[in-house]
Amino acid sequence: MRQLRTMAAAATALALLAVAGCGSTPAAGEGAKDEGAPVAGGTFNYAIDSEPSCLDPHVSLADATAFITRGVVDSLVVQDADGSFKPWLAKSWKVSDDLRTYTFDLRTDVTFHDGTKFDAAAVKANFDRIVAKETKSQYASTLIGPYTGTTVVDEHTAEVRFSAPFQPFLQAASTAYLGIQSPKAFTDYAGALCEHVVGSGPFVFASHTRQQNVTLTRSPSYPSAPPNAKHAGPAHLEKVVIRFLSESATRLGTLTSGEVQGISAVPVPNVAAVQANTSLQLIRTDAQGAVYTLFPNTSRAPFDDEKVRLAFQRALDVDTLVKSVYFGQYRRAWSFLSPNTKYYEPSLEQRTKYDEAAANKLLDDAGWTARDADGYRTKNGKRLAVAWPYTQQQAAVQQRGTFAQAVQAAEKKIGIEVVRTSVQTAELFGLVAKAQYDIFDESWTRADPDLLRIFYASTSKPLTGQNISWVNNAEVDGWVNGAAATADDAKRKDAYSRTQLWVQEHAVAFPVYVPAYLLAASTKVHGLRSDPASFPLLYDAWLSK
Amino acid sequence: MTIVDTTRRVPRVPTAGVVAAGIVLALLLLAVLAPGLLTRTGPDEVDPIIALRAPDGTHWLGTDQLGRDVFTRIVHGARISLVTGIAATLLAVVAGTVLGLLSALGGRIVDEVLMRAVDVLLALPGILLALLVIAVLGPGPVSELVAIAFAAVPGYARMIRGQALSVRRADYVTSAVAIGVRPAGLVWRHVLPNSLGPVLVLATLGTGSAIIIGSSLSFLGLGPRQPTPEWGAMLADGRDFLSTAWWVGVFPGLAITVTVVAVTVLGRRWQRRFEGVR
Amino acid sequence: MSQVRWLLRRLAGGIGVLVGAATVTFLAMELIPGDPARALVGSAPATPQTMDLIRHEMGLDLPLPVRYARYLGRLATGDLGRSYQLQQPVSTIIGEQVWPTVQLALAATVLAFAGAVLVATLTAGRWRAARGIAQAAELVAVSTPSFWLGLLLLSVFAFRLRLVPVGVDQGPAALILPAVTLAVPVGAILTQVLRDGMEGALRQPFVVSVRARGVTEFTLRARHVLRHGLSPAVTLSGWLVGHLLGGAVLVETVFARPGLGRVTLAAISSRDFPVVIAMVLFVAVVFVAVSTAVDGLYRVIDPRLRGASP
Repeated sequence: MRQLRTMAAAATALALLAVAGCGSTPAAGEGAKDEGAPVAGGTFNYAIDSEPSCLDPHVSLADATAFITRGVVDSLVVQDADGSFKPWLAKSWKVSDDLRTYTFDLRTDVTFHDGTKFDAAAVKANFDRIVAKETKSQYASTLIGPYTGTTVVDEHTAEVRFSAPFQPFLQAASTAYLGIQSPKAFTDYAGALCEHVVGSGPFVFASHTRQQNVTLTRSPSYPSAPPNAKHAGPAHLEKVVIRFLSESATRLGTLTSGEVQGISAVPVPNVAAVQANTSLQLIRTDAQGAVYTLFPNTSRAPFDDEKVRLAFQRALDVDTLVKSVYFGQYRRAWSFLSPNTKYYEPSLEQRTKYDEAAANKLLDDAGWTARDADGYRTKNGKRLAVAWPYTQQQAAVQQRGTFAQAVQAAEKKIGIEVVRTSVQTAELFGLVAKAQYDIFDESWTRADPDLLRIFYASTSKPLTGQNISWVNNAEVDGWVNGAAATADDAKRKDAYSRTQLWVQEHAVAFPVYVPAYLLAASTKVHGLRSDPASFPLLYDAWLSK
Repeated sequence: MTIVDTTRRVPRVPTAGVVAAGIVLALLLLAVLAPGLLTRTGPDEVDPIIALRAPDGTHWLGTDQLGRDVFTRIVHGARISLVTGIAATLLAVVAGTVLGLLSALGGRIVDEVLMRAVDVLLALPGILLALLVIAVLGPGPVSELVAIAFAAVPGYARMIRGQALSVRRADYVTSAVAIGVRPAGLVWRHVLPNSLGPVLVLATLGTGSAIIIGSSLSFLGLGPRQPTPEWGAMLADGRDFLSTAWWVGVFPGLAITVTVVAVTVLGRRWQRRFEGVR
Repeated sequence: MSQVRWLLRRLAGGIGVLVGAATVTFLAMELIPGDPARALVGSAPATPQTMDLIRHEMGLDLPLPVRYARYLGRLATGDLGRSYQLQQPVSTIIGEQVWPTVQLALAATVLAFAGAVLVATLTAGRWRAARGIAQAAELVAVSTPSFWLGLLLLSVFAFRLRLVPVGVDQGPAALILPAVTLAVPVGAILTQVLRDGMEGALRQPFVVSVRARGVTEFTLRARHVLRHGLSPAVTLSGWLVGHLLGGAVLVETVFARPGLGRVTLAAISSRDFPVVIAMVLFVAVVFVAVSTAVDGLYRVIDPRLRGASP
């Protein structure tokens, strides 16, 4: 019986493969090759670099939470590699012309891991919970936008309503953050939901041992595989153990010694060694969303002066720096949006040139003509200094701390002092809320250009939004809000292009590099695909003997 | 961290060792006072083109990920490590002396309160105390200094109190009190000079511990701000390269060990001499 | 003084230390800049009303003395509170994380004592050269920060030579390197103390009489001299335990091991007050317990101490 099911699954997988063609994401480099028929069973040990403080995707904003729970919770819709949306828990959906009402026709054959039936009431319970104050949602509540409520039309029809036109909802609904959990679990595990996620996905959340691992086990039945998956029915892997190893060298060491079969965040200095190792494969996926960017605070001096911002930009030899700090593993970024995000504006490429002389001239024009004993420029006796507060956790991500030192050295050449102050997380948020910084750095993974609204709409002030550049421009507001309120492709493209050009022209973002998900795995691991957020999907993965 | 028990016999240090330690410390002193004499460039000169060069004739100890010269950064880092170590120890000695004297001479209640507080602090490991201080003050050079000093204060306070009490009970002091010497004069004239010797020995050895705690805090990312060349922070930066470019982390690590060994050797030598005189 | 009175006095002193530690921690947490409610919410959008609600829930709107009294009251009843970051009772977190750290500390203690006894017995009072080499090694050992030693051991024995596994849940083999790292500086100090004690004992008259009975040098050292040397080393136990728990912060970080050390570090940087407080109290409790136990043991072994005050 088991043998039969495996064969059937393999046959389906092959059939789907033929239909779907190459189903990997556009930017996937050397992906896992599909060799032979999938084998069922086995434990996949996978080490990732960070442990989320909460595993509830409705609450946490951590990427790791989204990755871990993606196998546990299904979403209403799935976003395909080309950016389009396909049915998942919803068989089909209708969007009202005013983009305020989304009606979902739901699958009838889905059961949560705790035996609860999936229905329209479950959808309502989930979305209502996300916006409830007690949930203290850190991200899902932002994603769900101007949500006003869900109506249970009948057992398997749910109508989701918004107070304003909300085009980005389908994308939001496709993320694990808005994944559908068992409503029964909300009461069963009340107060402990960060440690218990009950969904309807191919894997059951089995256990979490803090600072060590999360264990997922295969769900015996899985009727709701999304159409872009390579097979149907239960997952191939019997068990997945996701380990938390924040030390890069250790993480890589566990892979080379065979203690795990895959790791995330391969340390860039070691990528070449991984590629040279014939028993390992490297899977590289450029992330969608906002690239790693330094955001100037335009609400206070000196970055309220566009000339100073432009000078700062010209002084950075981004090409050389990214190449040397990241060993050529990350691509240099040109726009706020990453190249594989929808409506990316390619004409921005090659536009911002490194030009130290031009930078110096801009600063002279801006009146920063005198120099002090340390070689920094001054105006009216005040040194040209910019504050760049950061936390240790930020600096550790993708060697951003090292990169910042390169920025300091580059800006020093044109006479700008970059002051890096290490602060604690709470303090940093305090500084951000009060706009008491000159540079804030981050990247943001999301497969939707609506990020431009979250980062640049004047109403999207920190900490309710992400307008950390403090841009307040009526034209920009018109574009980003307009794009969110229309389903017209041409209009959206136009609005997002204009915004990206504006952002570059006025230097309200200094894009640095396109973050990539660098995954290394044993060659025994097959079928790892990336989801639009660039995380590997575990459902189709299998281990050869 | 280093337990110094003055009643214990101190290991004899061979003269060659003392000379070597002296040379190391002289070089370090030169690095602290005039780093420019030992290096050609500044510690923060980034040159991505020559990133991660192995040690050779131009870059004696190689270059790091940003193409900065590791030797130059170690030389400039000496100032941070030594000055932090010495300043933190001095701070701790001063605070410890004040508290110890207060405790010994300030009456029973003061003594009880202070010594119970010292007991509490001695119950907690130094690194934990330092971390608490950094959590309160936020990371940075000043809080690092205070944190290291704070961790060492209870030890000095207890020791000074012991010294002060034993001096107080000595016959000549008892007679001094009998002939009407004021307490302040007593402290100044008898207690301090007699306590100073052992405290200075302890402080020299304590400087070694202070350098270790300082580098540990920097390693954890709680030290001076970037791009300050601090040995612990350099080692932390180099840890991802131990398999591909070992020199980035290994040389700063050696610098810490060699410096602390040199300080300790001289401290022990001093301790022996001091005890010999006594 | 009777045994009971001695014990009561020790316990009272111990409780004093604990209350003191709790107070120190409370004050430290009060002095920290930044709003703990904001730390709890993180970068999440939150209206001022939500923030007020959270502050109220956390009791942050109460006056300081009230908070202090409530805090001590809760601790007295064994309620350590809930972690802000991990959304779990602190006692659960400690319960989960205590075992890896205890394993590490115990393994390090055994290694340190075994190493110290071996080296000290072999080198006390003889072989100038061997003694000199041992002393030089001890000097280097105490002068090397544990994170540095740990990285070195890790890259040589785990990455390059592949003699031990790198991962954390690979059983006793994965414990070797972290335990050695933690044991080396402690062992070096113990060796010095032990050797001093033994050399002192070797100079005592009883040695002559034992030798006169014709016992071998090894028996003399192992059976008679070592015992004398051990007592000053054992009195260091309280300090040793504290040192091991402190060292665990660095060693667990370097080796990516789970445990209390890393929990403490994370809690301090995310200002997770309840966890930090619990950790400080935990270390203080262990310190008091170990030093009381060791002193008590001495009183049992050595009747001369019974008359003396603690």
